[in-house]
Amino acid sequence: MTDIHTSVGHSVDRLDAADKVTGEAQYVDDLYRPGMLHGAILGSTHAHAKIRGYKLDAALAIAGVAAIVTADDFSTARTGAFCKDELPLAKGKTIYLGEPIAAIAASDAEIAGRAARAIEIDYEPLPAVLTIDEALAVDAPLVHEDLVNYTKIAPSFSERNVLWQCRLEEGKIDSAWAQCDVVVEDVFETAAQHHMYMEPCGALAEVDRSGRLTIWSSCQSVHLVQQRTAEWLSIPMGRIRALAPKIGGGFGAKGGLHVQHLAAALALKTGRPVKMVLSRVEDFEIVRSRHPARVVMKTGAKSDGTLLAREASIFLDGGAYADESPTVLSFAVLMARGPYRIPHLRSRGLVVYTNKLKAGAFRGFGNPQVTFAGESQIDRIAEKLGIHPVELRLRNAVAAGDQWAGGQTLQACGLRECLTKLRDAVEAAPELPFAPQHRRGVGYSAFAHISGLLSTGCNIYLRSDGSVAVNTGVVDIGQGSDTVLTQICADALMLTPERVSFASPDSDSSPWNWKTAASRVTYMAGRVVLAATIEVRDKILRQAGEIMECSADDLEIRPGGLVGLKGVAAKTVTFAQIASHAIARLGGPIMGASSLLFDGERLDPKRALIEGFAFGNLGAYTFGAQAVEAEVDEVTGAVRVLRVWSAHDVGRAINPRMVEGQIQGGFVQGMGYALTEEMQWDESGRLTNPTLMDYKVPTALDAPLEIHPLIIEDPEPSGPFGAKGVGESGLIGAAASIANAIANATGKRVHQLPMTPERVLDALIGED
Amino acid sequence: MLYRPQSLGEAVGLLTSDPNARPLAGGVSLVAMLNARLIEPSALVSLARVAELHGIVTLADNALRIGAMTRHRQVAELSELIRPRAVLRQAAAAIANPTIRGMGTIGGSVALSDPAADYPAALVAMSASIEIAGSSGSRCLAAADFFLDWYTTALAPGELVTAVHLPPPADGAGVYHKLARVAGDYAIVSVALTIETAGKICAVIGACGPRPVWLETANAELARGNVAAAGDLLAAASDPLDDSRASASYRRRVIPRMLARAFAEAKALVRAL
Amino acid sequence: MIGSMDVMLTVNGEQRALRIEPFETLLSSLRDRLRLTAAKRGCNQGVCGACSVLIGGQPARACLSLTANCVDHEITTVEGLSTPLALSPLQTAMVRAGAIQCGFCTPGMLITLTALLEERAHPTREEIRVAVSSNICRCTGYQKIIDAVAEMVETSPA
Repeated sequence: MTDIHTSVGHSVDRLDAADKVTGEAQYVDDLYRPGMLHGAILGSTHAHAKIRGYKLDAALAIAGVAAIVTADDFSTARTGAFCKDELPLAKGKTIYLGEPIAAIAASDAEIAGRAARAIEIDYEPLPAVLTIDEALAVDAPLVHEDLVNYTKIAPSFSERNVLWQCRLEEGKIDSAWAQCDVVVEDVFETAAQHHMYMEPCGALAEVDRSGRLTIWSSCQSVHLVQQRTAEWLSIPMGRIRALAPKIGGGFGAKGGLHVQHLAAALALKTGRPVKMVLSRVEDFEIVRSRHPARVVMKTGAKSDGTLLAREASIFLDGGAYADESPTVLSFAVLMARGPYRIPHLRSRGLVVYTNKLKAGAFRGFGNPQVTFAGESQIDRIAEKLGIHPVELRLRNAVAAGDQWAGGQTLQACGLRECLTKLRDAVEAAPELPFAPQHRRGVGYSAFAHISGLLSTGCNIYLRSDGSVAVNTGVVDIGQGSDTVLTQICADALMLTPERVSFASPDSDSSPWNWKTAASRVTYMAGRVVLAATIEVRDKILRQAGEIMECSADDLEIRPGGLVGLKGVAAKTVTFAQIASHAIARLGGPIMGASSLLFDGERLDPKRALIEGFAFGNLGAYTFGAQAVEAEVDEVTGAVRVLRVWSAHDVGRAINPRMVEGQIQGGFVQGMGYALTEEMQWDESGRLTNPTLMDYKVPTALDAPLEIHPLIIEDPEPSGPFGAKGVGESGLIGAAASIANAIANATGKRVHQLPMTPERVLDALIGED
Repeated sequence: MLYRPQSLGEAVGLLTSDPNARPLAGGVSLVAMLNARLIEPSALVSLARVAELHGIVTLADNALRIGAMTRHRQVAELSELIRPRAVLRQAAAAIANPTIRGMGTIGGSVALSDPAADYPAALVAMSASIEIAGSSGSRCLAAADFFLDWYTTALAPGELVTAVHLPPPADGAGVYHKLARVAGDYAIVSVALTIETAGKICAVIGACGPRPVWLETANAELARGNVAAAGDLLAAASDPLDDSRASASYRRRVIPRMLARAFAEAKALVRAL
Repeated sequence: MIGSMDVMLTVNGEQRALRIEPFETLLSSLRDRLRLTAAKRGCNQGVCGACSVLIGGQPARACLSLTANCVDHEITTVEGLSTPLALSPLQTAMVRAGAIQCGFCTPGMLITLTALLEERAHPTREEIRVAVSSNICRCTGYQKIIDAVAEMVETSPA
């Protein structure tokens, strides 16, 4: 692997690369247990309907069917992280087409599917609402009639189909417009994007004779799987052990439950292991999507380019269940100002229920929607004022010591450097030959995100051979956290990464970690890994002091698992000797532990009017700026992205090559959001394109020829080695950058995502 | 049941005796439909071992017989497909991606008659014909008369596409242009255009209706150089749907624009001859 | 799973006797009967490429191949491309270039790239891009996958 003893900053090979590249890595569908049954789901066929009854006889009579569960098999009340509105299976009513009504376990997947189709459901259809406007209509049918009585964790301002409202105001927005020399106002619409991870959701649940469940699932948190499955099965958490096999991507969708509770319920009912893996169609239909949104935005500036005012009204379509809508909304409201010193701000939003698949966490978490709107307007203002788009951003960019909207102080901010490095890179790039009947343009965006949120913990101990065991609850969903966290520990002890082992997350033994999400793992888990490692390091030095009969202050850690006397090269003792000494003679095994709840500065209600925010505290702001060179086909309106430069302030790149991979992959997923990806529903509420034939993600021939990640390191004081997150940042500005490139190329703007050839042609030559 | 006959006669016999049996060529469309439970055939008749369906042969008059089991990749690499025949090579090269092009066959694709697929418009534009075998023998039908409707061809029950025939080569140019959402997707609109230096012009629009769209009147306008008029005629004659790829109105709007570009390119190629 | 047809498949150089359903896909046979799970089920429709294997040395979608129709050809899976003690030059190149994130597309990519390198030892970057377009990846944005092969080609003897 590597013989480097200071691995932070080195592009060390992924720990799991060999498993993955030989095909030996095991994902949940690769697991087989003796006596295993296969699970299938029956989804509803109505967007909104009462369920008057089920007829299970015909299904149960099919040879090979072992058990069926419906809502009647669950005794729990409604649950939910922010608004308790959800049940394990639809009960009494179905509120989106495809919603799971029953789950079946059978000897093979074909029989389970056939049995699902043999179940008869008696529906009484009800009128449905399928759009934001329909949901807000004065006489709209209600998706959740009992919404006002649902428990919510914070004031939500719920009414009728409005699940949650939120706002943030600073300065004196109403009088600010008069001071502006230019004001732009637009309405932006964005569509539902699907995460389209390569591995469909699945779970394998097995129960032992004492009634204890082991659940392997494709997830972003073993602790949340344990907690929420236990909630839905109404059993104590200690009866569930949640494990994570290799995960084939998540991007936010696997942070909440999908089928774990159904596999578990069937395992309990049959006494046999049950594996349930969704087909790609089912995965599209029943997991979660990105929030479609309408953003009404207004931005005002002075003629010298100073941004003065921004007003954003954000409408999110949350689908049938609350899921993480309250925090997506809150985050969108928080990020709508953009990374600029805009003194007057009114940012507010609401999220509605509709009779569609629920929307939830997806890389960017509300930020891509508001950034599409806000950054489109920044380039519009730049154009109106005749100022270069990078220059305009530089004039207004936040810097360290400034406040984010709501009052949090930015501890570090590399945004200016991102912008200048970006500008230089674009200017230095050789010109590509032009194509006839194509117009070429460059568009920019700047954005911020966060990396600090909620809680995490770490245990470390020194083995008797001098190697180190690191245990966190972190699930590596493909982004490489196992490797990065190993590097952090290894570096702090001057060991090579091979001498540090990283435990697979296990709810039985791993310290609690919220989930792999919010670009938080390097920063949050990195902090506790480093703190626990430093505790171990201090104990190593003290033990070494005992052995060498001197003060620990006279000793230093040396590469390769050694402790030596400062200034005396020859005198050393090994970690193995130290570990043995501790176990046998003094104090016991050398261990370190650290736990952390994000401890950054909170929003300041004296500075800003803040209402309806659903999250506790978040921060460790990250910054980025992106430039896209794109080409528009004048004949068809088709857009091709040619080259991308994307500069990201990550504090410190623990593993630069992996940081690049996140930036590049994030951009291409964002490009899909910008140009081709749209979940489509018909008037009956049926998702019409739940397949890869009909929902198109970029291929290698669609991806840009070049994506140049530019890593900027402006150390985050609270971050491990100065590091903070980057997982979501590549995606956040993509739609805006591309929209701005189209505008630069053609002089015309598209306000709706995805920017299909039709929408671009309409902008180019007017609608038909 | 999956049968693997070794001769055309045996294959035809199996298909004739069981109306719910289907022929299996590359499987790219058929197995996908099977997996999605869109079809439930009683039997499949694999054509993998039927020698008469494999191979590419130049016939006496320099016509070309491309066996039904010829993979898209082979069609895309056929050196005989130059000048006006290049429209077929370009169409084959535009199908899906390299792996699918190595699996899918021209016979299978043609027999499926998916209007958004790439062959139909190209084959009509080059006046290809489809060789068919059934229990009463073999026949040849012009491509223009073969693609009838959504997933409907002129094949009678028990009949099988055995080859595609291309007329003798001529001087001129052929182009195939395809607009799709991403690389390898089905077409939103496709334009297949052949121009012979001797004068014959044929423009065919694909993916804009249940069958390829072409008009003698539009071809006549093109021969006179009235590209806009030809485009308007073709757009008016098309019958596209709103689907996940694009709206009908967008397709109609884009037909004349794409036709103009294809025509300009083909004309330039002819001038360069 | 009960089956009703007996076939003999050649998989990774070995003869394997299988009792299968007539319309069973090669993907199901490989994964569920032979426990060769490197080939993944990403869409079951032939679009994503995660199920790719070599049939007669050519990349093919195992989810679109009927097992009973594959008896005439050598089938090679990623398990057959790997040796227990060392990574192949292509595998090493993928690892070093950072071309692997979640890894779900990786086996299919290896099949596609192995076939490409069999066909031409020094593909251009554009030829690599075209080959890679056979497989969807959602994590990497494709750049480092293409880089892996391009770098490997650059450093290999002409």
